[in-house]
Formats: sequence, structure tokens, C-alpha cells
Amino acid sequence: MVGNSQRSRIQNQKAGLKLLTKLTLFITLSKLAIVMLFVFLLPNLIERIASKYTDDYLREQKKKVMTIISKNGINYYLQGEESMGSYTMLKEEYISLAPSETAFYPDTIETSERIVESDTLNYRLLTYNFKADNKRYLLEIGKTTATISQYNRPLQKIALWVLIALTLFTLVADLIYTRFLLAPLGKIIKSKLVNRRFPFNDDPHPVITSTSDFRYLDSSLMTLMTQIHEAFEKEREFTANASHELMTPISILQNKIENLLGETEVSDLIQRKLIEMHRTLNRLKKIVNSLLLISRIDNEQFSRSEVVSLKVLLEDVMDDISHRLEEKEIGFRLSLKENITLKNCNRDLLYQLFYNLINNAIKYNKPNGDITIQDSYHAGSFYQIFIEDTGIGIPAEDIPTIFNRFKKSNLSEAGGYGLGLSIVKSIANYHRINVDVSSAVSRGTTFTLVFPKEIIY
Amino acid sequence: MKVLIVEDEKTLAYEVEAFLKKAFYLVDLAHNARQALEKIEMNQYDFVLLDLGLPDKDGLIVLEHAKKHNSEAAFIILTARGNIEDRIKGLDLGADDYLPKPFSLLELQSRMQAISRRKFGVKNQALQLGEFEIDLQKRTVSHNSIEIEITRKEFDLLSYMLLHKNRVLTRIQLSEHIWGSFVDDDYDSNYIDVHIKNIRKKLGAYGNVEWLETVRGVGYKIRKQD
Repeated sequence: MVGNSQRSRIQNQKAGLKLLTKLTLFITLSKLAIVMLFVFLLPNLIERIASKYTDDYLREQKKKVMTIISKNGINYYLQGEESMGSYTMLKEEYISLAPSETAFYPDTIETSERIVESDTLNYRLLTYNFKADNKRYLLEIGKTTATISQYNRPLQKIALWVLIALTLFTLVADLIYTRFLLAPLGKIIKSKLVNRRFPFNDDPHPVITSTSDFRYLDSSLMTLMTQIHEAFEKEREFTANASHELMTPISILQNKIENLLGETEVSDLIQRKLIEMHRTLNRLKKIVNSLLLISRIDNEQFSRSEVVSLKVLLEDVMDDISHRLEEKEIGFRLSLKENITLKNCNRDLLYQLFYNLINNAIKYNKPNGDITIQDSYHAGSFYQIFIEDTGIGIPAEDIPTIFNRFKKSNLSEAGGYGLGLSIVKSIANYHRINVDVSSAVSRGTTFTLVFPKEIIY
Repeated sequence: MKVLIVEDEKTLAYEVEAFLKKAFYLVDLAHNARQALEKIEMNQYDFVLLDLGLPDKDGLIVLEHAKKHNSEAAFIILTARGNIEDRIKGLDLGADDYLPKPFSLLELQSRMQAISRRKFGVKNQALQLGEFEIDLQKRTVSHNSIEIEITRKEFDLLSYMLLHKNRVLTRIQLSEHIWGSFVDDDYDSNYIDVHIKNIRKKLGAYGNVEWLETVRGVGYKIRKQD
């Protein structure tokens, strides 16, 4: 169904996520993941940084001590004593200097326990063996590790909040920028695809963007549209020229047949044959006329400047067509609630549109069937007319193609849909009227015409 | 009445000529714009049937010139171009009617008659048809001065058959006159029968309608009155 396919297209749009949403979602999640990872690894990192800092600090202290010893002698520290030890008030740091007799000469930094005044404490410990005044000494400089790791918790907390705040801030920035970045895409789709009406007669303007990908997309679409337009233009020109060229020979044939029919000495048999020829020729004429009409509509050769009352128009059509109802004894009900007047339209074309639809409703109806024409008005948005028949209906598989030229239905004995519905479609497109079909085989068909508010007076 | 047919397609011109001669018109032919203008300058015509697609000049230019020399003539544009602008331009330039190709010769004659009534004041309005009197001007049918009510379409049909009386008119010819070359794929124009039935019923209530004959398998004709 025409309407259904449009609806499902819209649904597809709704079911999928927009590019912007996807990007935002991805950015948010990846940022959060990084923040969580960072916060989780923070203690470890701090540990490393702190221990590196402590080690550097210890080495620095050692250097100072060694400088003083080499300058002032070991006695500067020992003051005549055998060994020396000193620590800060809370025992975070301590230094000891003692003679050493061990065979190995360590110069290491490690973490180990020391008992200072009956307190067992964990120290980061620098041990250094050196020679002074021909004696070996062991220097130990320590710094508690507790001082290092005690800040982990609050740091982690602060980092978490700061980072989340930063993430949110950058997220907003990202969103704004992404929206700005993706704006041309929407513009391209709108200006090149959605809002352009076949056969793309209007000149497209390139969408201004500094993103080369979008420019590429835009120009590719424009090229494609131009190609479609040219192909269509060629077909249209061909149709117009071919129809025109066909009209002259048809004219000659028709006039010859007419002149022959006027001859008094023509026998009955020949007369009947002539009538058959005339009928066939007439069929050819109507096909060519229809093609010409479609090509002229597509060529925008009709003005759209008239104001038409739909009620009056429909009554005129019925006046012209009602004798066909009698023959098939078809019931007809025209019940319009609204008195809608259309503007910017072509009366003759609209007449043809309704004529063809109602004519079909009669032609494909069953004897004693019914035709109902109703309407509904959604004030401020659109107006609908429903042309409903109780006819033979259209098989579902035929519905997508009934508006195609020369499409034949397997079921219809009346010779297919011919060009009548193609003309309807062309006229509807020309007036931006949407045509929907719903049908059930052997129960009937409903054509729905949707008039946009732009053409409602 | 004198007619000039300006048509480059000779076969077509001859058919139109043959038909009009049979209807007692005097016919001249021109196959291009030059010939047409020459003849228009030399002669006075009542009708100029003008094809727009001429080989040497656009028919509309011919129309503009011809109007100056032969302003009394009625101009009927015959064209296969059939676009709206041509039609509007032609009528703006003073053409009296416009017939898109392919047209029916009967339709052409009917249009010419209508122009004759309108433009030249030809008064043959009150036509006798059996016991009935048909006034083409007032578009009425009456029987012993009693007006009979018939619809617009029924009157159109009746007067068309009357114009071409004693000639069989096919359903196609009749329906084309009534509904125009309306695009519609019902080439079996049986709907004409409904109208004929109505005419017979309405007029038959007053008098004899045997002059309206059905020609089996062909169409209808109005028999010549003796």
C-alpha cells in the first residue's frame, strides 16, 4: 500500500537511533569508562609516584649527609660517639649512622620495618655503606610509608568528583560541537532528498559546510539528482514529441474513416468494418492523448492559479458521469461535511482526477454496488476525501503498481487500469495531493485523497 | 461560405477539403505560411482553418498577419501541439476557436456552424424535425409551441445529429462531441444509448420520433425529412 510503505519508512526512522544520539552515547560511555579506570588505578599510581618521590627525597638526603661528611668529617655527626641516630618528633623520618663490619656494602632503598622507641613502623629505607677515616659506616635514612598512602582515599574521592564534573562539562561541549558538526548532514538530507519534489526542476544550492565529507556527499547527491533529472527530462521530451508526431497520422486516419462513413454507397459490411477501425483508432488516440496529458502535467504546462470549490466540482463530475450509475444500478452517496475551497489549482485537472477515480469506482463495481464519497477535515493541517466502492477490489500484490503506466491487473476483465490512474497520480503530484489506496479483493477499494493545508483556501 | 485550409500535411488537408466540399463550402488550400498569406491578401474568406505547425513560419504569426487583411474571417486553430500557451495565445490573437488534433470532421463542422450563428448572424435557428421544432439559438425543443424539457446534453446530442442529419453517427463520434476528447479509456461509448433512450422517451410523449433511427452495430442517425 502506498500509505503503508510511507508509514513503515517513518517507523524505520523511529526504530533506529540518530547518529547524534549514538555519538553522544559512545562519547559518554567511553569517558565514564576512562574516569572509572583512572579512579580505580589512582592508589596504585599515587603509590608509585609517592615512592618515587620518597626515593628521590631519600637520595637527596643521603647526598646532603655525604657532602657534609666529606666536608666536615664524620665526627660532625658522631660527635665522638660510636654511632648516631635521630628522628623527627612523630617518627616519620629518621636517620642513623653506625660503624659497619659486614662484608657486603649495600646501597639500596627498600621498604622494611624498624622499631623506633618500641613503635614498629614501616619505613621506606635507604641503606648506604661508606668509608670514612678508614672505617666502614652504615647510613640509614628512613621515611614512613604511612604518610604516603594516607592520602589515597580522599584523593580518590576528590579525583572522582573532579573528573565526573569535567566529564559532564566536556560532554556538553561535545554535544554542542557534534550537533554543530552534524548539522549539514540534516540540511543535505532535507534540501536534497526530503524536500525536493520529483522531477527536481528547481536548482539545488550546495549546502555550506567546511566538512569535506559532507561536501562530497552533497555534491554526489546533486550529481545524482541532475542525472535523474536529465534522464527524466529525456523521457518526457520523447513522450511529448512522440505523442505529437503520432497525432498527425491519427488525424489523417480518423478523417479518412469519417469521410468514408459519410459515403452513401458504402455497404453495411464495410460500414461495420469501418466502425471497428474507428473504434481501434479511437483507442489509440486516447492512449496517445493520455500520454501527452501526463507528459504535459509533468512538464508543468498547466497553470495552478484557480480557486475551486470541491463540492461544486464533485457535483459537476457526478452530473457528467451519473448516467453510468444508472446502467449498472449503482447506489451513490456524496456526503461532504465540509465545504472546502482549494486554491492554487487547476480546475480541469482536478476534474479529470475525480472523474477518473469515480469512473473507476463505477467500472470496477458490481451491479447494485455502492459508491460513497466522504470527507474529514483536520483543521489547520489537512483535508481528506475518501472515495469508497464495493467493487471487485485490487489484489494486495497489485496495489504498489496500479499507478504505473500500462499496468494490467490479472483479475480485471475490463482491460486493466490503463492510464487512468497514472493520470490521477500525475495530477495529484502536481497539486501535492497524496493518494492512498486500501483494498480488499471482492469487497471494494477506497481511494483517499489528502489535500495539504497549503492548497486549502 | 469560403474556407481556406492552411495545413502542411497534404493528405490531411485533402480529407478536410473533401468533407467541407460535401457540406457545400468553397474550399481553398495553402500548404505553408507564404501561400496562406498570399491567398489571404488576395481573397476574402469566411473561415480560415489554421495549423500552427507550419514548415516556414509559426501559425500564430500567420494569424496575426491574416487578421489585418481579413478581419471579417473566422479563424479556427487546428493543431497537434495542443499546449496551453498556444491555445491562450491563439485566442488572444483573435482566433474564434481551437481544435486539438486529431479532431473529428463532424466536430469541425459543428464548430463552424456555431461560429456562423454567433459571428455571421446566420439565422436558421428554428429547424423543423418531424412534428418538433428545434431552436438552436434558444436551445429549446418544442411541439406545437409547447416547450419540452430536456437536459443540456440531450439537446447537444439532438442538435449534433440534426446538423449531420441523414448521416450515421457512431457512438464514438457522439460521445466525443458530448464529453470532448475526455481522457477516459472507455472507448465503447455505450453510455450514449442512455441519452438516446431519454430523448426518445421525452419527445415520444408528444409525438412521433421515428426519424431518430438506430443503425444496428453502428450508431444513430436522423432520417432526412421529406
